[in-house]
Amino acid sequence: MTTPAHMVELRDVSMQFEEKKVLDGFSLKIEPEERVVIMGQSGSGKSTLLRLILGILRPNSGSIFFKQFEITRLRRRKLQQVRRHIGMVYQYSALLSSRNVRDNVALPLEELTDKSRDEIDKIVDEKLELVGMKESKDLLPDELSGGMRKRVALARALVLEPELLLLDEPSAGLDPVIASVIDELIISLSEKSKVTSVTVTHEMESAFRIATRMAMLYQGKIIEEAETEEFKQSKNPVVAQFLSGSTEGPILEGSLDAITKK
Amino acid sequence: MANAHSPVLVAQGVGQIASNFLREVGSVFWFIMHTFEETLERIQKGRVPFRAASFFRHTERAGVDSVPLAGLVSFFLGLTMALLTGYQLQRFGTERLIPGLVAISFTRELGPLLTGIMLAARIGAAFTAELGTMQVSEEVEAIEAMGIGPLRFLVAPRMLALFLLMPCLSMVSNIAAVFASSLVCKAYFSIAFPYFLDLVKDSLLIRDIITGILKSFLFGLLIAAIACYRGLTVKGGAAGVGTATTSSVVTAITTVIGFDTLYNVIYTTFYPT
Repeated sequence: MTTPAHMVELRDVSMQFEEKKVLDGFSLKIEPEERVVIMGQSGSGKSTLLRLILGILRPNSGSIFFKQFEITRLRRRKLQQVRRHIGMVYQYSALLSSRNVRDNVALPLEELTDKSRDEIDKIVDEKLELVGMKESKDLLPDELSGGMRKRVALARALVLEPELLLLDEPSAGLDPVIASVIDELIISLSEKSKVTSVTVTHEMESAFRIATRMAMLYQGKIIEEAETEEFKQSKNPVVAQFLSGSTEGPILEGSLDAITKK
Repeated sequence: MANAHSPVLVAQGVGQIASNFLREVGSVFWFIMHTFEETLERIQKGRVPFRAASFFRHTERAGVDSVPLAGLVSFFLGLTMALLTGYQLQRFGTERLIPGLVAISFTRELGPLLTGIMLAARIGAAFTAELGTMQVSEEVEAIEAMGIGPLRFLVAPRMLALFLLMPCLSMVSNIAAVFASSLVCKAYFSIAFPYFLDLVKDSLLIRDIITGILKSFLFGLLIAAIACYRGLTVKGGAAGVGTATTSSVVTAITTVIGFDTLYNVIYTTFYPT
Protein backbone atom coordinates (compact mmCIF):
# COMPACT_ATOMS: atom_id res chain seq x y z
CA MET A 1 0.00 0.00 0.00
CA THR A 2 1.38 3.41 -0.98
CA THR A 3 1.91 6.15 1.57
CA PRO A 4 0.18 9.36 0.51
CA ALA A 5 1.78 12.83 0.38
CA HIS A 6 -1.44 14.52 1.46
CA MET A 7 -2.01 16.08 4.86
CA VAL A 8 -4.97 13.79 5.47
CA GLU A 9 -6.34 10.98 3.38
CA LEU A 10 -9.34 8.80 4.07
CA ARG A 11 -9.58 5.73 1.86
CA ASP A 12 -12.83 3.87 1.57
CA VAL A 13 -13.68 4.34 5.24
CA SER A 14 -16.78 2.67 6.64
CA MET A 15 -18.07 3.20 10.14
CA GLN A 16 -21.08 1.65 11.75
CA PHE A 17 -22.58 2.13 15.21
CA GLU A 18 -24.61 -0.99 15.97
CA GLU A 19 -27.26 -1.00 13.23
CA LYS A 20 -26.58 2.52 11.94
CA LYS A 21 -24.12 2.92 9.10
CA VAL A 22 -22.59 6.39 9.48
CA LEU A 23 -19.85 6.31 6.86
CA ASP A 24 -20.05 4.01 3.89
CA GLY A 25 -16.98 3.86 1.66
CA PHE A 26 -15.99 7.44 2.50
CA SER A 27 -12.91 8.80 0.68
CA LEU A 28 -11.35 12.26 0.91
CA LYS A 29 -7.94 13.86 0.39
CA ILE A 30 -6.89 17.03 2.14
CA GLU A 31 -3.83 18.91 0.92
CA PRO A 32 -1.48 20.99 3.11
CA GLU A 33 -2.66 24.54 3.88
CA GLU A 34 -6.16 23.83 2.62
CA ARG A 35 -9.22 24.92 4.56
CA VAL A 36 -11.70 22.17 3.89
CA VAL A 37 -15.26 22.50 5.09
CA ILE A 38 -17.37 19.38 5.25
CA MET A 39 -21.07 20.03 5.26
CA GLY A 40 -23.88 17.69 6.02
CA GLN A 41 -27.09 17.28 7.96
CA SER A 42 -27.10 16.86 11.71
CA GLY A 43 -26.26 13.27 12.54
CA SER A 44 -24.73 12.61 9.13
CA GLY A 45 -21.38 11.58 10.64
CA LYS A 46 -19.43 14.83 10.45
CA SER A 47 -18.15 14.73 14.04
CA THR A 48 -17.47 11.00 13.71
CA LEU A 49 -15.21 11.87 10.79
CA LEU A 50 -13.07 14.16 12.95
CA ARG A 51 -12.84 11.52 15.68
CA LEU A 52 -11.70 9.01 13.08
CA ILE A 53 -8.93 11.36 11.87
CA LEU A 54 -7.79 11.76 15.48
CA GLY A 55 -7.83 8.00 16.01
CA ILE A 56 -10.31 8.30 18.88
CA LEU A 57 -12.60 6.00 16.90
CA ARG A 58 -11.45 3.13 14.71
CA PRO A 59 -13.31 2.54 11.44
CA ASN A 60 -14.88 -0.81 10.63
CA SER A 61 -12.93 -0.80 7.36
CA GLY A 62 -10.73 1.47 5.28
CA SER A 63 -7.57 3.45 6.02
CA ILE A 64 -6.93 6.92 7.40
CA PHE A 65 -3.62 8.71 6.91
CA PHE A 66 -2.24 11.80 8.57
CA LYS A 67 0.85 12.70 6.53
CA GLN A 68 2.85 9.46 6.33
CA PHE A 69 1.19 7.90 9.38
CA GLU A 70 -1.61 5.42 8.96
CA ILE A 71 -3.76 6.39 11.94
CA THR A 72 -5.79 3.21 11.73
CA ARG A 73 -2.70 1.06 12.32
CA LEU A 74 -0.80 3.10 14.88
CA ARG A 75 -0.25 1.79 18.37
CA ARG A 76 -1.32 3.89 21.34
CA ARG A 77 2.07 5.42 22.09
CA LYS A 78 2.73 6.50 18.48
CA LEU A 79 -0.84 7.71 18.13
CA GLN A 80 -0.37 9.97 21.16
CA GLN A 81 2.75 11.43 19.53
CA VAL A 82 0.93 12.04 16.24
CA ARG A 83 -2.01 13.70 18.00
CA ARG A 84 0.34 16.42 19.26
CA HIS A 85 0.46 17.72 15.69
CA ILE A 86 -3.33 17.93 15.48
CA GLY A 87 -5.46 20.50 17.29
CA MET A 88 -9.13 19.79 17.93
CA VAL A 89 -11.88 22.24 18.83
CA TYR A 90 -14.99 20.47 20.10
CA GLN A 91 -18.53 21.60 19.41
CA TYR A 92 -19.16 22.17 23.11
CA SER A 93 -15.56 23.26 23.75
CA ALA A 94 -14.75 20.39 26.17
CA LEU A 95 -12.75 22.61 28.51
CA LEU A 96 -11.71 21.00 31.79
CA SER A 97 -14.31 22.45 34.16
CA SER A 98 -12.11 22.23 37.26
CA ARG A 99 -9.29 24.31 35.72
CA ASN A 100 -9.33 27.99 34.94
CA VAL A 101 -8.77 29.38 31.45
CA ARG A 102 -5.01 29.72 31.92
CA ASP A 103 -4.62 26.17 33.18
CA ASN A 104 -6.81 24.79 30.40
CA VAL A 105 -4.69 26.43 27.71
CA ALA A 106 -1.44 25.55 29.50
CA LEU A 107 -2.36 21.87 29.91
CA PRO A 108 -0.82 20.49 26.68
CA LEU A 109 2.36 22.52 27.28
CA GLU A 110 2.68 21.34 30.88
CA GLU A 111 2.04 17.73 30.03
CA LEU A 112 3.81 17.33 26.72
CA THR A 113 6.74 19.75 26.68
CA ASP A 114 9.70 20.57 28.90
CA LYS A 115 9.03 24.30 28.86
CA SER A 116 9.45 26.32 32.04
CA ARG A 117 6.53 27.99 33.74
CA ASP A 118 7.60 31.39 32.39
CA GLU A 119 7.78 30.09 28.83
CA ILE A 120 4.38 28.43 29.22
CA ASP A 121 2.86 31.63 30.59
CA LYS A 122 4.25 33.56 27.64
CA ILE A 123 2.77 31.14 25.09
CA VAL A 124 -0.57 31.00 26.93
CA ASP A 125 -0.77 34.80 26.99
CA GLU A 126 0.10 34.96 23.32
CA LYS A 127 -2.59 32.46 22.32
CA LEU A 128 -5.21 33.99 24.60
CA GLU A 129 -4.38 37.40 23.13
CA LEU A 130 -4.89 35.92 19.66
CA VAL A 131 -8.45 34.87 20.53
CA GLY A 132 -9.12 38.01 22.61
CA MET A 133 -9.39 36.17 25.94
CA LYS A 134 -6.32 37.36 27.83
CA GLU A 135 -8.38 39.28 30.36
CA SER A 136 -10.36 36.17 31.33
CA LYS A 137 -7.50 33.84 32.12
CA ASP A 138 -8.35 33.48 35.80
CA LEU A 139 -11.99 32.56 35.17
CA LEU A 140 -13.39 29.06 35.28
CA PRO A 141 -15.15 27.66 32.18
CA ASP A 142 -18.50 27.87 34.01
CA GLU A 143 -18.06 31.64 34.24
CA LEU A 144 -17.66 32.02 30.46
CA SER A 145 -20.24 32.36 27.71
CA GLY A 146 -20.45 29.79 24.89
CA GLY A 147 -18.48 32.02 22.51
CA MET A 148 -15.76 32.69 25.07
CA ARG A 149 -15.42 28.98 25.79
CA LYS A 150 -15.05 28.25 22.13
CA ARG A 151 -12.32 30.85 21.80
CA VAL A 152 -10.47 29.36 24.79
CA ALA A 153 -10.85 25.91 23.19
CA LEU A 154 -9.32 27.32 20.02
CA ALA A 155 -6.42 28.83 22.00
CA ARG A 156 -5.87 25.44 23.67
CA ALA A 157 -5.87 23.68 20.30
CA LEU A 158 -3.23 26.11 19.04
CA VAL A 159 -0.68 26.05 21.88
CA LEU A 160 1.32 23.18 20.44
CA GLU A 161 1.45 24.86 17.00
CA PRO A 162 -0.48 22.09 15.22
CA GLU A 163 -0.14 21.37 11.53
CA LEU A 164 -3.75 20.28 11.30
CA LEU A 165 -6.69 21.90 13.00
CA LEU A 166 -10.00 20.05 13.31
CA LEU A 167 -13.01 22.18 14.11
CA ASP A 168 -16.39 20.78 15.04
CA GLU A 169 -19.09 23.41 14.43
CA PRO A 170 -16.81 26.32 15.41
CA SER A 171 -19.43 29.01 14.97
CA ALA A 172 -22.60 27.16 15.98
CA GLY A 173 -24.53 29.03 18.64
CA LEU A 174 -22.34 32.14 18.47
CA ASP A 175 -23.46 35.66 17.69
CA PRO A 176 -22.59 36.78 14.13
CA VAL A 177 -19.74 39.06 15.21
CA ILE A 178 -17.95 36.43 17.33
CA ALA A 179 -18.61 33.84 14.60
CA SER A 180 -16.85 36.13 12.11
CA VAL A 181 -13.95 36.67 14.52
CA ILE A 182 -13.45 32.92 14.81
CA ASP A 183 -13.75 32.44 11.05
CA GLU A 184 -11.17 35.14 10.37
CA LEU A 185 -8.86 33.62 12.94
CA ILE A 186 -9.04 30.27 11.15
CA ILE A 187 -8.29 31.98 7.84
CA SER A 188 -5.35 33.95 9.24
CA LEU A 189 -3.93 30.82 10.88
CA SER A 190 -3.83 29.01 7.58
CA GLU A 191 -2.38 32.03 5.75
CA LYS A 192 0.23 33.02 8.34
CA SER A 193 1.08 29.76 10.11
CA LYS A 194 0.35 27.39 7.20
CA VAL A 195 -2.13 25.44 9.33
CA THR A 196 -4.37 23.03 7.43
CA SER A 197 -7.91 22.97 8.73
CA VAL A 198 -10.88 20.66 8.48
CA THR A 199 -14.12 22.21 9.63
CA VAL A 200 -17.41 20.42 9.91
CA THR A 201 -20.44 22.63 10.04
CA HIS A 202 -23.88 23.32 8.69
CA GLU A 203 -23.58 27.07 9.24
CA MET A 204 -23.67 28.19 5.63
CA GLU A 205 -22.29 31.71 6.02
CA SER A 206 -19.35 30.59 8.11
CA ALA A 207 -18.60 27.69 5.78
CA PHE A 208 -18.37 29.89 2.68
CA ARG A 209 -16.20 32.39 4.52
CA ILE A 210 -13.65 29.84 5.73
CA ALA A 211 -13.47 27.27 2.97
CA THR A 212 -10.98 26.97 0.16
CA ARG A 213 -12.68 23.69 -0.72
CA MET A 214 -16.00 22.22 0.33
CA ALA A 215 -17.42 18.75 0.48
CA MET A 216 -20.92 17.49 1.12
CA LEU A 217 -21.42 14.38 3.25
CA TYR A 218 -24.67 12.59 2.53
CA GLN A 219 -25.68 9.04 3.42
CA GLY A 220 -22.14 8.16 4.48
CA LYS A 221 -20.42 9.32 1.31
CA ILE A 222 -18.98 12.50 -0.20
CA ILE A 223 -21.48 13.34 -2.91
CA GLU A 224 -19.93 16.64 -4.00
CA GLU A 225 -16.46 18.07 -3.57
CA ALA A 226 -15.37 21.36 -5.15
CA GLU A 227 -13.76 24.77 -4.71
CA THR A 228 -16.06 27.13 -2.82
CA GLU A 229 -17.48 29.06 -5.80
CA GLU A 230 -17.96 25.91 -7.82
CA PHE A 231 -19.67 24.25 -4.85
CA LYS A 232 -22.16 27.11 -4.59
CA GLN A 233 -23.19 26.48 -8.21
CA SER A 234 -23.48 22.72 -7.77
CA LYS A 235 -26.15 21.03 -9.81
CA ASN A 236 -26.31 18.11 -7.41
CA PRO A 237 -29.94 18.12 -6.13
CA VAL A 238 -28.92 17.24 -2.54
CA VAL A 239 -26.32 20.04 -2.40
CA ALA A 240 -28.70 22.51 -4.06
CA GLN A 241 -31.44 21.67 -1.56
CA PHE A 242 -29.05 21.85 1.39
CA LEU A 243 -27.69 25.23 0.32
CA SER A 244 -31.11 26.70 -0.37
CA GLY A 245 -32.66 25.22 2.79
CA SER A 246 -35.68 24.17 0.76
CA THR A 247 -38.06 21.45 1.94
CA GLU A 248 -38.48 20.28 -1.65
CA GLY A 249 -35.85 17.83 -2.78
CA PRO A 250 -34.22 14.48 -2.10
CA ILE A 251 -33.03 15.19 1.49
CA LEU A 252 -36.38 14.91 3.25
CA GLU A 253 -37.98 12.63 0.67
CA GLY A 254 -40.23 10.17 2.45
CA SER A 255 -39.78 11.67 5.88
CA LEU A 256 -41.44 14.94 4.78
CA ASP A 257 -44.48 13.03 3.56
CA ALA A 258 -44.69 11.38 6.97
CA ILE A 259 -44.47 14.76 8.71
CA THR A 260 -47.15 16.39 6.54
CA LYS A 261 -49.48 13.40 6.93
CA LYS A 262 -49.34 13.86 10.70
CA MET B 1 -44.47 -23.67 26.04
CA ALA B 2 -42.79 -21.07 28.20
CA ASN B 3 -42.48 -23.64 31.00
CA ALA B 4 -40.83 -26.11 28.66
CA HIS B 5 -38.20 -23.55 27.88
CA SER B 6 -37.81 -22.07 31.33
CA PRO B 7 -34.83 -24.25 32.49
CA VAL B 8 -33.07 -23.26 29.27
CA LEU B 9 -33.93 -19.61 29.86
CA VAL B 10 -32.68 -19.80 33.44
CA ALA B 11 -29.44 -21.43 32.27
CA GLN B 12 -29.12 -18.76 29.59
CA GLY B 13 -29.69 -16.04 32.15
CA VAL B 14 -27.11 -17.50 34.53
CA GLY B 15 -24.66 -17.88 31.66
CA GLN B 16 -25.25 -14.29 30.63
CA ILE B 17 -24.66 -13.01 34.16
CA ALA B 18 -21.53 -15.13 34.54
CA SER B 19 -20.17 -13.99 31.20
CA ASN B 20 -20.88 -10.32 32.01
CA PHE B 21 -19.23 -10.75 35.40
CA LEU B 22 -16.10 -12.29 33.91
CA ARG B 23 -15.97 -9.60 31.22
CA GLU B 24 -16.16 -6.90 33.88
CA VAL B 25 -13.44 -8.54 35.99
CA GLY B 26 -11.22 -8.79 32.90
CA SER B 27 -11.91 -5.17 31.95
CA VAL B 28 -11.01 -3.86 35.41
CA PHE B 29 -7.84 -5.97 35.38
CA TRP B 30 -6.79 -4.57 31.99
CA PHE B 31 -7.74 -1.11 33.15
CA ILE B 32 -5.27 -1.43 36.05
CA MET B 33 -2.58 -2.86 33.75
CA HIS B 34 -3.00 -0.08 31.16
CA THR B 35 -2.84 2.55 33.88
CA PHE B 36 0.45 1.03 35.10
CA GLU B 37 1.74 0.81 31.53
CA GLU B 38 0.96 4.45 30.69
CA THR B 39 2.44 5.63 33.98
CA LEU B 40 5.62 3.57 33.61
CA GLU B 41 6.09 4.74 30.01
CA ARG B 42 6.04 8.28 31.27
CA ILE B 43 8.52 7.52 34.06
CA GLN B 44 10.82 5.80 31.53
CA LYS B 45 10.90 9.05 29.58
CA GLY B 46 12.25 10.70 32.72
CA ARG B 47 9.14 12.75 33.36
CA VAL B 48 6.82 12.83 36.35
CA PRO B 49 3.67 10.84 35.53
CA PHE B 50 1.34 13.41 37.08
CA ARG B 51 1.60 16.66 38.92
CA ALA B 52 2.30 16.46 42.66
CA ALA B 53 -0.48 18.99 43.25
CA SER B 54 -3.01 16.67 41.62
CA PHE B 55 -1.83 13.73 43.75
CA PHE B 56 -1.94 15.72 47.01
CA ARG B 57 -5.41 17.07 46.17
CA HIS B 58 -6.65 13.48 45.99
CA THR B 59 -4.77 12.34 49.09
CA GLU B 60 -6.27 15.22 51.01
CA ARG B 61 -9.76 14.44 49.86
CA ALA B 62 -9.51 10.67 50.13
CA GLY B 63 -7.28 10.52 53.17
CA VAL B 64 -7.22 13.51 55.45
CA ASP B 65 -10.88 14.39 54.92
CA SER B 66 -11.90 10.78 55.62
CA VAL B 67 -10.14 10.64 59.01
CA PRO B 68 -13.13 11.94 61.04
CA LEU B 69 -15.53 9.45 59.43
CA ALA B 70 -13.20 6.45 59.73
CA GLY B 71 -12.23 7.43 63.28
CA LEU B 72 -15.74 8.06 64.52
CA VAL B 73 -17.36 4.94 63.04
CA SER B 74 -14.52 2.74 64.35
CA PHE B 75 -14.65 4.42 67.75
CA PHE B 76 -18.33 3.62 68.14
CA LEU B 77 -17.91 0.11 66.85
CA GLY B 78 -14.94 -0.52 69.18
CA LEU B 79 -17.02 0.81 72.05
CA THR B 80 -19.97 -1.44 71.27
CA MET B 81 -17.81 -4.46 70.64
CA ALA B 82 -15.93 -4.10 73.95
CA LEU B 83 -19.16 -3.53 75.84
CA LEU B 84 -21.13 -6.45 74.42
CA THR B 85 -18.31 -9.00 74.43
CA GLY B 86 -17.22 -7.72 77.85
CA TYR B 87 -20.51 -8.63 79.50
CA GLN B 88 -20.41 -12.11 78.00
CA LEU B 89 -16.79 -12.69 78.97
CA GLN B 90 -17.39 -11.32 82.47
CA ARG B 91 -19.69 -14.27 83.18
CA PHE B 92 -16.69 -16.54 82.80
CA GLY B 93 -14.29 -14.13 84.49
CA THR B 94 -12.32 -13.63 81.30
CA GLU B 95 -12.93 -9.93 80.66
CA ARG B 96 -9.18 -9.44 80.36
CA LEU B 97 -9.56 -10.95 76.89
CA ILE B 98 -11.44 -7.85 75.67
CA PRO B 99 -8.35 -5.76 74.72
CA GLY B 100 -6.85 -8.57 72.64
CA LEU B 101 -10.17 -9.43 71.05
CA VAL B 102 -10.86 -5.87 69.88
CA ALA B 103 -7.24 -5.26 68.85
CA ILE B 104 -6.91 -8.47 66.81
CA SER B 105 -10.33 -8.26 65.19
CA PHE B 106 -9.74 -4.66 64.16
CA THR B 107 -6.14 -4.91 62.94
CA ARG B 108 -6.74 -8.11 61.01
CA GLU B 109 -10.28 -7.72 59.82
CA LEU B 110 -12.62 -4.93 60.81
CA GLY B 111 -10.25 -1.98 60.39
CA PRO B 112 -9.40 -2.59 56.73
CA LEU B 113 -12.92 -3.87 55.94
CA LEU B 114 -14.78 -0.95 57.53
CA THR B 115 -12.40 1.59 56.03
CA GLY B 116 -12.76 -0.10 52.65
CA ILE B 117 -16.54 0.07 52.78
CA MET B 118 -16.51 3.69 53.96
CA LEU B 119 -14.02 4.78 51.30
CA ALA B 120 -15.89 2.92 48.57
CA ALA B 121 -19.01 4.87 49.47
CA ARG B 122 -17.35 8.19 50.14
CA ILE B 123 -14.47 8.42 47.67
CA GLY B 124 -15.36 5.74 45.12
CA ALA B 125 -18.66 7.49 44.43
CA ALA B 126 -16.91 10.86 44.13
CA PHE B 127 -14.30 9.50 41.69
CA THR B 128 -16.96 7.86 39.51
CA ALA B 129 -19.20 10.92 39.44
CA GLU B 130 -16.28 13.23 38.70
CA LEU B 131 -14.78 11.15 35.90
CA GLY B 132 -18.23 10.24 34.58
CA THR B 133 -19.15 13.91 34.25
CA MET B 134 -15.85 14.57 32.49
CA GLN B 135 -16.57 11.66 30.17
CA VAL B 136 -20.05 12.83 29.15
CA SER B 137 -18.89 16.43 28.65
CA GLU B 138 -16.13 15.18 26.29
CA GLU B 139 -13.36 16.39 28.63
CA VAL B 140 -11.76 12.95 28.75
CA GLU B 141 -11.84 12.71 24.97
CA ALA B 142 -10.33 16.20 24.69
CA ILE B 143 -7.45 15.10 26.96
CA GLU B 144 -6.93 12.06 24.76
CA ALA B 145 -7.13 14.18 21.61
CA MET B 146 -4.29 16.38 22.89
CA GLY B 147 -2.04 13.31 23.04
CA ILE B 148 -2.19 13.05 26.84
CA GLY B 149 -2.83 9.57 28.26
CA PRO B 150 -6.08 9.91 30.24
CA LEU B 151 -5.29 6.87 32.40
CA ARG B 152 -1.95 8.30 33.46
CA PHE B 153 -3.32 11.83 33.86
CA LEU B 154 -6.67 11.12 35.52
CA VAL B 155 -6.58 7.63 36.99
CA ALA B 156 -2.99 7.17 38.21
CA PRO B 157 -3.01 9.99 40.82
CA ARG B 158 -6.37 8.81 42.19
CA MET B 159 -5.28 5.20 42.30
CA LEU B 160 -1.98 5.97 44.01
CA ALA B 161 -3.68 8.29 46.52
CA LEU B 162 -6.17 5.64 47.58
CA PHE B 163 -3.54 2.87 47.50
CA LEU B 164 -1.23 4.75 49.87
CA LEU B 165 -3.87 6.34 52.09
CA MET B 166 -5.96 3.26 52.72
CA PRO B 167 -3.47 1.62 55.16
CA CYS B 168 -3.15 4.95 57.02
CA LEU B 169 -6.92 5.17 57.38
CA SER B 170 -7.06 1.55 58.53
CA MET B 171 -4.55 2.44 61.22
CA VAL B 172 -6.71 5.38 62.28
CA SER B 173 -9.66 3.00 62.43
CA ASN B 174 -7.70 0.46 64.53
CA ILE B 175 -6.43 3.06 66.97
CA ALA B 176 -9.88 4.63 67.37
CA ALA B 177 -11.48 1.24 68.08
CA VAL B 178 -8.77 0.16 70.54
CA PHE B 179 -8.96 3.52 72.28
CA ALA B 180 -12.75 3.20 72.56
CA SER B 181 -12.44 -0.30 74.02
CA SER B 182 -9.86 0.96 76.54
CA LEU B 183 -12.47 3.47 77.77
CA VAL B 184 -15.07 0.72 78.16
CA CYS B 185 -12.53 -1.55 79.89
CA LYS B 186 -11.70 1.19 82.35
CA ALA B 187 -15.27 2.29 83.00
CA TYR B 188 -17.05 -1.07 83.15
CA PHE B 189 -14.49 -3.78 83.76
CA SER B 190 -11.87 -2.02 85.91
CA ILE B 191 -9.00 -2.65 83.51
CA ALA B 192 -6.56 0.25 83.94
CA PHE B 193 -5.00 1.80 80.87
CA PRO B 194 -1.40 0.48 81.40
CA TYR B 195 -2.74 -3.05 81.98
CA PHE B 196 -4.97 -2.65 78.93
CA LEU B 197 -1.92 -1.78 76.82
CA ASP B 198 0.01 -4.78 78.17
CA LEU B 199 -2.88 -7.08 77.27
CA VAL B 200 -3.04 -5.62 73.75
CA LYS B 201 0.73 -6.01 73.29
CA ASP B 202 0.62 -9.62 74.57
CA SER B 203 -2.16 -10.68 72.23
CA LEU B 204 -1.31 -8.74 69.09
CA LEU B 205 1.22 -10.25 66.69
CA ILE B 206 3.21 -8.30 64.10
CA ARG B 207 1.68 -10.71 61.59
CA ASP B 208 -1.81 -9.42 62.44
CA ILE B 209 -0.75 -5.85 61.73
CA ILE B 210 1.01 -6.75 58.49
CA THR B 211 -2.01 -8.75 57.32
CA GLY B 212 -4.26 -5.75 57.91
CA ILE B 213 -1.91 -3.39 56.10
CA LEU B 214 -1.53 -5.67 53.08
CA LYS B 215 -5.30 -6.01 52.86
CA SER B 216 -5.69 -2.24 53.02
CA PHE B 217 -3.29 -1.70 50.11
CA LEU B 218 -5.27 -4.21 48.05
CA PHE B 219 -8.63 -2.66 48.96
CA GLY B 220 -7.38 0.85 48.13
CA LEU B 221 -6.23 -0.26 44.70
CA LEU B 222 -9.47 -2.14 43.98
CA ILE B 223 -11.77 0.69 45.09
CA ALA B 224 -9.90 3.28 43.03
CA ALA B 225 -9.73 1.01 39.97
CA ILE B 226 -13.44 0.13 40.08
CA ALA B 227 -14.50 3.74 40.71
CA CYS B 228 -12.33 5.18 37.93
CA TYR B 229 -13.24 2.39 35.50
CA ARG B 230 -16.95 2.97 36.07
CA GLY B 231 -16.44 6.72 35.65
CA LEU B 232 -14.55 6.46 32.39
CA THR B 233 -17.01 4.00 30.86
CA VAL B 234 -20.11 6.10 31.55
CA LYS B 235 -22.64 6.23 28.74
CA GLY B 236 -25.94 8.06 28.53
CA GLY B 237 -25.47 11.56 29.96
CA ALA B 238 -26.47 12.64 33.46
CA ALA B 239 -28.60 9.54 34.06
CA GLY B 240 -25.62 7.41 33.06
CA VAL B 241 -23.43 9.15 35.63
CA GLY B 242 -26.02 8.40 38.33
CA THR B 243 -26.29 4.75 37.34
CA ALA B 244 -22.51 4.37 37.14
CA THR B 245 -22.02 5.95 40.57
CA THR B 246 -24.52 3.58 42.20
CA SER B 247 -22.99 0.65 40.39
CA SER B 248 -19.49 1.75 41.38
CA VAL B 249 -20.33 1.84 45.09
CA VAL B 250 -22.16 -1.49 45.02
CA THR B 251 -19.40 -3.18 42.99
CA ALA B 252 -16.60 -1.75 45.13
CA ILE B 253 -18.23 -2.77 48.43
CA THR B 254 -19.03 -6.25 47.15
CA THR B 255 -15.52 -6.64 45.74
CA VAL B 256 -13.92 -5.48 49.01
CA ILE B 257 -15.96 -7.99 51.02
CA GLY B 258 -15.34 -10.73 48.44
CA PHE B 259 -11.60 -10.14 48.36
CA ASP B 260 -11.51 -9.96 52.15
CA THR B 261 -13.08 -13.41 52.34
CA LEU B 262 -10.72 -14.78 49.68
CA TYR B 263 -7.74 -13.26 51.47
CA ASN B 264 -8.82 -14.81 54.78
CA VAL B 265 -9.34 -18.22 53.22
CA ILE B 266 -5.88 -18.16 51.62
CA TYR B 267 -4.27 -16.72 54.74
CA THR B 268 -5.79 -19.25 57.15
CA THR B 269 -4.83 -22.08 54.79
CA PHE B 270 -1.16 -21.12 55.07
CA TYR B 271 -1.20 -19.74 58.63
CA PRO B 272 -3.99 -21.61 60.44
CA THR B 273 -3.31 -20.16 63.92
